[in-house]
Amino acid sequence: MSATDPTVVLGTIGSDAHAVGITLLDHALREAGFTVHNLGAQTAKTEFATAAADHDADAVLVSSLYGHAQQDCAGLHDQLAAAGVDATTVVGGNLAVGQTDFETVKQRFEEMGFDRVFSAQTGFEAVVDAVKTELDVDERSPTTTTLGA
Amino acid sequence: MIEDKRLTDTELEAITDRITGDWVSRAAVDFADAVAFHESLPPHKRFAAVLENAEAVLCQPRAGVPRLDEHVELLQHLDEEGGADLLPTTIDSYTRDNAYEKAAEGLARSRETDSSELNGFPAVNHGVEGCREVVRRVDAPVQVRHGTPDARLLAAVTLAGGFQSFEGGPITYNLPYTSAYDLETTIEYWQYVDRLCGAYTERGVTINREPFGPLTGTLVPPSIAIAIVTIEGLLAATQGVRSVTLGYGQVGNLVQDVAAVRAMAAIGAEYLPDSVTVTTVLHQWMGGFPRDEARAHGVIGLAGATAALVEPTKVITKSPQEAVGVPTAESNAAGLRTTDQVLRMLDEQSITLDGVDREQALIERSVRSLLDAVYEAGDGDIARGTVRAFDAGTLDIPFPPSDAAAGDVLPARDDDGRVRLLKFGAVALDDETKRIHRARLDRRADTEGRELSFRMVADDVSAVSDGRLIGRPGDD
Repeated sequence: MSATDPTVVLGTIGSDAHAVGITLLDHALREAGFTVHNLGAQTAKTEFATAAADHDADAVLVSSLYGHAQQDCAGLHDQLAAAGVDATTVVGGNLAVGQTDFETVKQRFEEMGFDRVFSAQTGFEAVVDAVKTELDVDERSPTTTTLGA
Repeated sequence: MIEDKRLTDTELEAITDRITGDWVSRAAVDFADAVAFHESLPPHKRFAAVLENAEAVLCQPRAGVPRLDEHVELLQHLDEEGGADLLPTTIDSYTRDNAYEKAAEGLARSRETDSSELNGFPAVNHGVEGCREVVRRVDAPVQVRHGTPDARLLAAVTLAGGFQSFEGGPITYNLPYTSAYDLETTIEYWQYVDRLCGAYTERGVTINREPFGPLTGTLVPPSIAIAIVTIEGLLAATQGVRSVTLGYGQVGNLVQDVAAVRAMAAIGAEYLPDSVTVTTVLHQWMGGFPRDEARAHGVIGLAGATAALVEPTKVITKSPQEAVGVPTAESNAAGLRTTDQVLRMLDEQSITLDGVDREQALIERSVRSLLDAVYEAGDGDIARGTVRAFDAGTLDIPFPPSDAAAGDVLPARDDDGRVRLLKFGAVALDDETKRIHRARLDRRADTEGRELSFRMVADDVSAVSDGRLIGRPGDD
């Protein structure tokens, strides 16, 4: 953990273009005091690894909503390790095609090396709280950004 | 710089030569052979004719699985058990990304494991013959539904394969779907798609084109969506397309949705050339769904009621399993039947909603303002103007994954649940329109006793899945 604000790398993996969730999560993490590097949609595994190394990330958050997460995340942890990254890894979204039981999916991704696995129904606050817990971050009073025109 | 200019037959042929070869042979997409196949189809499988002659709102689901036999069975189930009037073939995400090798691997794994390892039908990998088998074996017209920024090969294969409607466009399948392409490039790619559709049309095989109105599917202000689908309709018309279905994604407020679809039809009739037959489609709620299937049926029912009130040409249905991923065939058919039940019951009633005319006037004024800015930016050329308007932010969408849009606009619901703009960026709306948006949002802020903030937006994004329309504080 860095002495400054904890750093998170965030993105949607593979060919998945869903960006709304990570945009909102980005904002929630910033409000909670994190430094966030949002890689956006359609992010390759190598981009996650490079960004995590470049920014000395404390956590890597991977989003996937289109069902192909298992294929897309295969080998991610090897690439992170090869880049010298030792970070908490979190994955969330619709992680399988069809009606697979979430507990089965969760186990599958934990076996791949993810520290936390969330379904698409998980609220932003729950994800932020989980990352805080994993990184042992002190509670901060959230700030609310007021938006002008 | 890109121009809104029709491709010549020579250019069309040259591009077809260039995109075929690796995954699909040039001979497989032989134009004369394809036209002959289309001509062999019975009238009830002709998409544009069924659409344009509809006497009631048509229902169409989304559906696509990787294995051919299973895909056909799924479509047959949706036809026979769901009562679908029009059928889809939803394409997998690897094909949408032109990653045909990955799609091939997923298809092979699906066959090996007797399961679905892709989230749709890999049409390029199945090839022209595979597509024709789908078209032959189902008993309704079939449309390609996808999300492909570079859809040239997909169009060549599926149109040669007998599909008669092709969804998407250079803006609606760029900004919400990719971070890899600039708009000038996708407009160029889609000039080929549209010209190919136009070439079929000129030979008596009308190919319907449907711009994807929901965009990112999340709180998209109607005026922005309508301006964009109108632009795509205009670009398609230049290339010889003669059947255009303008699309709109339900936002959930009945008055605004009815006003929006009416505005879209009016704008389409006004801006698109007389040679184009304009139809409309309402997409049922494209945002997050409740996990509870009973509540999900409620969302679908509201969408059905909206369709009954505004009578678009067709409605794209959702399933009660929307929240948990690709639905089962039974669940998908259930969404169709829920919609049909509401449509039938409301068809027998005459209902008037207060405030529709006022909201429609606001939407139309906003759309005209946005389109004026595009024409002005392009010195009268809609293609060039589109690129420049998005560059300048005078046309913009919320939450784009693409760098081709500024993403400086931010939507939120007002106190009535209508989608307004909280941040305008540089978008080309007049001061009076902005004042209306801000006043409506201020009223909500007063009601809720909180400032206008990003928190409000986040609450709105998850509201429907949490059981209501507006993300009020303390709803958890």
